[in-house]
Amino acid sequence: MKKRQMYFRMITASLLRRRSRMIVALLSVAIGAAILSGLVTIYIDVPRQMGAQFRNYGANMIFTPADGSFTSEDITNGASYIDSKDIVGVTPYRYESVRIHELPVMAAGTDMEQVKLTSPYWSVEGGYPTGSGQLLLGASLAEKFRLGVGDEVTVSYTPEFKDRGSDETVLDNTADMKVEGILETGGPEEDYVYLRMSDLEELTGISGKTDLAELSISAKSDKLKEYAEKISSSVPAVSARLVKRVTESESTVLTKLQALVLLVTVIVLALTMICVATTMTAVVAERRREIGLRKAIGASNSGIIKEFMGEGMLLGAVGGIIGSVLGFVFAQQISINVFSSSISFMPLLVPITILVSVAVTGISCLLPVRSATQIEPALVLKGE
Amino acid sequence: MSLLELKGIYKIYGDLHALDDVNMKVEKGEWLSIMGPSGSGKSTMMNIIGCMDKPSKGEVLLDGVDISKESPKNLTAIRRDKIGLIFQQFHLVNYLTAIENVMLAQYYHSVPDEKEALEALDRVGLADRAKHLPSQLSGGEQQRVCVARALINYPEIILADEPTGNLDDANEKIVVDLFHKLHNEGTTLIVVTHDPEVAEVAQRTVWLRNGKLHKETVNENFTGEIRFDKN
Repeated sequence: MKKRQMYFRMITASLLRRRSRMIVALLSVAIGAAILSGLVTIYIDVPRQMGAQFRNYGANMIFTPADGSFTSEDITNGASYIDSKDIVGVTPYRYESVRIHELPVMAAGTDMEQVKLTSPYWSVEGGYPTGSGQLLLGASLAEKFRLGVGDEVTVSYTPEFKDRGSDETVLDNTADMKVEGILETGGPEEDYVYLRMSDLEELTGISGKTDLAELSISAKSDKLKEYAEKISSSVPAVSARLVKRVTESESTVLTKLQALVLLVTVIVLALTMICVATTMTAVVAERRREIGLRKAIGASNSGIIKEFMGEGMLLGAVGGIIGSVLGFVFAQQISINVFSSSISFMPLLVPITILVSVAVTGISCLLPVRSATQIEPALVLKGE
Repeated sequence: MSLLELKGIYKIYGDLHALDDVNMKVEKGEWLSIMGPSGSGKSTMMNIIGCMDKPSKGEVLLDGVDISKESPKNLTAIRRDKIGLIFQQFHLVNYLTAIENVMLAQYYHSVPDEKEALEALDRVGLADRAKHLPSQLSGGEQQRVCVARALINYPEIILADEPTGNLDDANEKIVVDLFHKLHNEGTTLIVVTHDPEVAEVAQRTVWLRNGKLHKETVNENFTGEIRFDKN
C-alpha cells in the first residue's frame, strides 16, 4: 500500500468512523456554506429580482416623435436596438378627441396585450378589450356617464376639415361599442377611454399614426441610458427618453439593497469563520492524546499538521457540497417568499462554495493543530 | 558495545532530582525490568530512553550515539526507527481498525504493508480480529495490538510501560508469553512494572528509589523458556 493510500484511508476513517463527533463540525461547516452561498446567490440575483419588481411600476422608457409624429414601424425600428431579452413590453399610444354622449373625451388607441406588460399595475373591472367594438373606460368617465361593464355606448369622432373654406358638411364617424372593462389606476388614466388601435384607426379613418410608445425594459439605469442615446441617434424619427422617476428610484433602491446584502454576507462569513474555527479547535483539542500518541510512534510535526489539515479540508469539501445544495434551497425559499419568483441555479457557485469552505476549515484547523503539535508525547506515556 | 548506556544521568525539576546520577547498561537482546515505587523516577527514565525527554545532565548512548544532544526532530526519527513503545493504557487510535493501528507505525516509519501488518497481528494471535475497532476488542486484545504495533518495524528496543497494568491474569500471561517470544527472537526488552511476578521473569531487574539506582538483581534461573504462570 502506498503512503498516500494510507493517508486517505486514515482521514476518511477519521470522518466516517467518528460520525457522532464529526457531525457537529460538518453541520457547522455546511450551515456556514449554505448561508454564504445562499446570500451570494441572492446578492447576484437581486438586480434581476428587483428589476422585475420595478417593472410592475410601469414603463421606464418613452418614445416620442422627434418631429410631429411617427409610425409603428419607427417604434419597431427603435425597439430593435434593445436586447430582446431585456424587453418586457412595448405599448404604442395614439390619442384622439372623441365624443361620448356628445361630450368630448380623450381616447387612446393602444395594444391591449402590451398594455398588460408595460402597465401591470392597472386594475381592470371586467376585462381588457379582446375584439373589435370593445373599449376600456376610465373609472372617472364611467362614473360621469354612469356606465358599467357590458353597457353599450356610441363613440363619435369628427374628422378634421381638410378645407376650411368649403361649405361641405362633414359628418361624424360613429361606432357603437361595448364597455368591456372599467379601468382604475388612481391616476390620469381614469379620464381616458381606451380602444384597440385598429378600432381607433377605423373610427378616425387614419391609420399608421402613433403619438407615443411606452417601453418597459429590464435593465439597469446605465444600460437604459445607453439604449436611449443609441436609439435617439440611430432612429431620426424617434426621441427616446427615460422615465427618471422610475429609473432613478430603481437604481437607488437597488444599490442600497445590494450593499445591504453584501454587508450581511460579509458579517455572516466572519461569523461562520469564527464558528467553524471554534468547532475545529474543540475537535482538535479533544484529540490531543491521539496527537501525542502519533508523535510517540514517530509522527513528525509536519506529518501531524498534514493529517489534520487533510481531515479539515475533506470536512470543508463535504460541508461545501452540502452547503451548496442547502444554500440554493435557502436562496430559492427567500426568493419565492420575498420576490414571489424562483431563482436560477448558478453552477459556478458550487465550486466557489466548496473552495471557500475548504479554505475556511483549513485556516480554522491550522492554528489549533499547530498548537497541538507542541504536545509532548511523554504525556501519553504518563496517561495524562 | 552496549546497545544502551546511561552515563551519569540527571533530570532536575527545580529542587527535585527525578533522576540522580543514574548509570546503567543494557545489552543487545537483553530483557530488563525496571521496578520502583511511584515517584522513583521510572517514568522519567522511560521518557529519556524512549527519546521523549532529555536528561538535564549526562549521556544516553543508543547504539553508540548520544541521544541526549539530539534535536527534537532527530529524536522523533530515532524513536520511529529504533524504539517500539507499549503503553499501560494501550493508546490505540480509536477510529482505526487493529490492522490500521499496526500499519500506522509502518506509515510513519517507511511504507504501510497490509500483509506484513497482518503477520504481526498473527504473531500476537489476533489475525482474525484485524478488522475490528479497538472498542470491539478486549483490554488484552488491545494490548496485543499495541505489541504488534511496537514490533512491526523491527525496533532495536521494545520499551513497555506497565504493559500488564490494566490486564487480567489470563491476558497478562499472554502478553508476558509474547515478550518471551520476542526475547527469544533477539529483541531487546525494557519493561517498567509494579508487578514483581512480571519483573522476575526478566533476565535482570533494576530498582529505582528517589531517582537513584537502588538495587540490581540478575535472574539466575532465566532460561528463556515460556514458563510464566501467575499461580
